[in-house]
Parts: sequence; C-alpha cells; structure tokens
Amino acid sequence: MVQTKKQKYLFLAFCLVPTFLLFAIFTLYPLVSGLYYSFFRWSGSASNMEFIGLSNYVRMFNDSIIPRTIMHDYFLVVTKVFGIMILATFFAVAIMQLKIKEAPFYRIIFFFPNIMSVVVIGILWTFIYNPSLGLVNSALEFVGLGNLTRPWLGSETWALPSIVFPSVWAGIGLFMLMLMGGIGTISKSYYEAAELDGATEWQQFWKVTLPLIWPQIKVSILYIVITTLNGSFILVQVMTGGGPNNSTHVMGSYLYQQAFVQYNFGYGAAIGVMILVLSLVTVFLLQILLRREKVQY
Amino acid sequence: MKIETNTSLTKTGPLKTALKRETKQPVSKRILIRLPLVLWSLAVLYPITWMIIGAFKSNAEIYANPWGLPAEFNFNNFIDSWQNYNIDTGVFNSLIVTVLGALLTLVLAIPTSYALERMVFRGSTLIFNLYISAMMIPMVLGWIPLFFLLMQFNLLDNIFGLTLVYAVSQLPFSIFVLTTFMSSIPRELEESAAIDGMSPYGVLLKIITPLSMSGIITVTIMNAIQFWNEYFMALIFLQSRENYTLGLAVDFIRREAEYTNAWGTLFASLTIAIIPVIILYAIFQRRITKGMTEGAIKG
Repeated sequence: MVQTKKQKYLFLAFCLVPTFLLFAIFTLYPLVSGLYYSFFRWSGSASNMEFIGLSNYVRMFNDSIIPRTIMHDYFLVVTKVFGIMILATFFAVAIMQLKIKEAPFYRIIFFFPNIMSVVVIGILWTFIYNPSLGLVNSALEFVGLGNLTRPWLGSETWALPSIVFPSVWAGIGLFMLMLMGGIGTISKSYYEAAELDGATEWQQFWKVTLPLIWPQIKVSILYIVITTLNGSFILVQVMTGGGPNNSTHVMGSYLYQQAFVQYNFGYGAAIGVMILVLSLVTVFLLQILLRREKVQY
Repeated sequence: MKIETNTSLTKTGPLKTALKRETKQPVSKRILIRLPLVLWSLAVLYPITWMIIGAFKSNAEIYANPWGLPAEFNFNNFIDSWQNYNIDTGVFNSLIVTVLGALLTLVLAIPTSYALERMVFRGSTLIFNLYISAMMIPMVLGWIPLFFLLMQFNLLDNIFGLTLVYAVSQLPFSIFVLTTFMSSIPRELEESAAIDGMSPYGVLLKIITPLSMSGIITVTIMNAIQFWNEYFMALIFLQSRENYTLGLAVDFIRREAEYTNAWGTLFASLTIAIIPVIILYAIFQRRITKGMTEGAIKG
C-alpha cells in the first residue's frame, strides 16, 4: 500500500469522526444525560432545575401507577412471546413440511403487517374494536353471541388484552420467516432416519425440528422481548393513550405522559432509567434461561 | 450450530422425499393444516382491504353497512383529507423526512462501515460494539434530553431536525447490515486499485460503494419505510400542524373523527399512508423480508 501513516489516519478520521460525532451528540449524550436528569426536579425551563437526589426514585416506589405499568409491560411481553411463537412456529412448520405450492403467498401476506406503520395498525384496530361499527362486535352479533359484545378498548378489563392481538397480528410474519429459515437448513436425512425409526410426525417435530431450530427460537424470543419492552408503548399511545383509567399504561407511555404532557421531565427521566434497567436485566436473565445445550446430531 | 449436510443426499434426496412427503399426507390432514393458514391470511387481508374500501365510501354508507362494498367508488374522502385536513402537507413533510433521512443515513453509514470493516486500527471493535449495542437500548430515556438538545439547536418543531434525529437513529442498523455486506467483497479489488494509485477516498467511492450497492439498496428501503412510518419521535419533536408528518396528520384526523365522525376521511388518509409502503413491498418484497430477518438475527 502506497500510503503514509498520516494519510491513513486522515482517511480514518474522515470516515469515522463526523458520523461518530453525530452519534455521540444525538444518541450517547441523551442517554447519559437522561440518567443525570433523573436526579432533578425540572419542569422544562432552564431556571427551575433543582437537584433533588434520589427523590424521583423514591417517588417512583410510592407511585401506585408504576407497578401497574410494569405489570402491563410484562403482560404484553408474555402474551406476545407465547402468541407469536406458537402461531409462527405452527405456520412455519406447516408451510415447510407440507411443501405447499402457495407457500410464497402466505409468506408475502403474513409478513406485510410487519412493515405497516404503528399509527395505521393502531387506528385500524381501534376501529375494529369500535363498539358500534367495529368488526369484533359485528362478528359476535352475527354468530349470535351478541351478549359478549363490549366496548373493548373502553373497558378497564379488556383494553390491555385487546392490544395484544394487533401486536401478534403485526409481528408474526417476521418470526415465521426466521423460523422457516432455520427449518430450511435442517438436512432431510434426519427426518428420513427418524421415519425409519418409526417416529411419528409429532415426535419428529419435538425431537428433530424444535431442537435444531432452537437458535432461531431463542433469537426470536429475545427480539420480541426487547422490542416489546422498548416499543410497546407506541401502540398503546395510539390505541388508548394509557386509558381508560391507566388500565393500559405501560412504562413508556407513562414516561411520555409524565414528561411531555405534565412536564415532569426529571420524573420522566427516572422512569426512563427504570425502563433501561428492567430491559437490560430481563434480556440478561432470559439469555441465561434460554441457554440450552447446542444440539448436534 | 453446525449442521453437516450430506451433499449426495441434498443433491437428489430432498426433491424425492418432498414428493414422497406430499403424497403421503392424507387429503383431510392437508386441508386441516391449510385451514389456519387460510384463516390467518384472511385475518391479515380483510382489515386492510376493508380500510382501503372504506376510503371510497360515504359516511352514510359506513354507518349503514360498515363491512360491505360501496355503492359507487367516490374519491371525495381523498379530496377532503387532502384539502381540508392537511394530509397534503403531511405527505410532503414525510417525503422530505424520508428521502433526506435515508440519504443522510447512507452518507454517514457507508464510510464508517468501510472503516470498521476493512481498516485495522485500535478501538475498531469497541466503536463497532458501541454502535451495535445501541440497537438494544430503549431510546425513550434519550428522548427527554434530545428534546431539549433540539431546542437549544433551534431544531425543535423542525422537520430537518427530525430528519437528523431519524438518520442517527438508524445508524446502528445500517452499519450492521453494511459491514456484513462489505465483508463479502474480495479484498483484491481494493488492493489492486490502491496499487494503481487510487486514493482510499477513490476506493471507497468508486469501488466499495458500487460493489455494496445491493446492501445499500436494502438498507435504504428499510430506513425509508422506517422513516415514513415513524410516529413517536415526530409526536415529541414536532408541534405545529404545518410541520406534522403523515403519521401525526393521520392521528390528528382520528382525534377529530371522534367528534366529527369523518370516518371516510380517516380511511382515506390511512390509505394514503399505506400505499407507498405497499408499492415498495410489491417491488422489493425479497429484499425487505431478507433485510428484516437478518437485522433481527444479529443477536
């Protein structure tokens, strides 16, 4: 290489410095100063920023809405993980094992909601749950279960479960494709061997398919957990705004309300720190939990 | 995990076994397994189709028969949302944010990806890991300080400020995909170009960039869809209606519709928001699915 050291470093700086500078200003600095803000009482204007130590965290422990938001977040995590993984695995196995001709059709259709805007998904589903015009209540009436109709998103009991379905609806395609990728790499000889040994298809699924796609399943679960803890509040915000009566607030939507609606920026930042900590701890624990002997046949 | 594939088997075996498997399934069972697939397809297609059809119905029709076809297709809802509900500015602002954001992400991500992938220097792994780990960090915490930072820079309630934030927010994903892509480019090309006297800047611009075009296109489409769809940062960082991106404009109509019941107009605006995504998906379906699954498998 005909290049002096100085030229090399100049080129490196050209490649890295501007990008990293912007990344530091707009990503790293805000995260760190979010932590810093959480020690202040602050309504937004520069003059009335008051250092209050851990008071925001003390307030958080005494805020009766906080444990509910955490519960709601983990309710969404658990229901989404099970809902998405069971359906996605079933669909992936069905499409791959049956070798059906219209497989590309299902791939294309199932995946599409993954790239729809959360606003569109949220508003569409708000309308599907609409008490008078919505699809859910119309369908219930149509099949003669009119007594089951209710204002789904307006009910404190049903609002949160009602948010699960759009999230599953919007998420399945991606994970189905990831699992299909995993199934595609399994050598057919395993199934032939299993068949020779007299294993039923059900046994083949549990003994061959599932262990061999475990890496994909693990990644999928982690991905669902991370994206739910870090982003479920967007759908909540669009569909219910945390209501009725805080029954759907998750940590992120509560942060938004505290910081950007009620201007408790310090308290909002403390909630943000909680989200960060819970998210990292959950992922860490999950990684230990999902660790499983790598299978090699 | 490493799976040893028996090559002699994979050459001829799978097709035969596939045929064997397909014919071996009893018909009733195949229908039974297909049924959930068909039902789920309906669950996905029906609401979307219904939303698009609703955009062509008058309000009276929506109330009379919310789930049926319109008597005649009329475009009044589109005209109404476009002219009276700021959807025109929403589309315009979203286009600016999407196009500029996607371009800016490339300008920032390509040189960094090249340096991180090909140049040997101390701290390269550290910088790479810093970018990648940002993909797993919940950004909500950062949005509070970012709000005040943008205020200081006079970039709050400014679509160019939002563009900048968007571009930086997609850096980790873009760098991740681009470095993976660049690692598959043979080094000999750069080396021979350098021997021919090409500067590293020339190598980056004339050799690496064209050769990673496929990865660049994938990243750009993913980022563009992301920016077009984004809602929450726009909600926080934009305030006045003339700066609203499409997501905010649609959400605004929704809040109004709770009182005006202008559902047809709402459906029309939702349709306007989703059509570009449908078109991109129709053209780049393979790239998009591949880009997203690979982006997710990173862990």
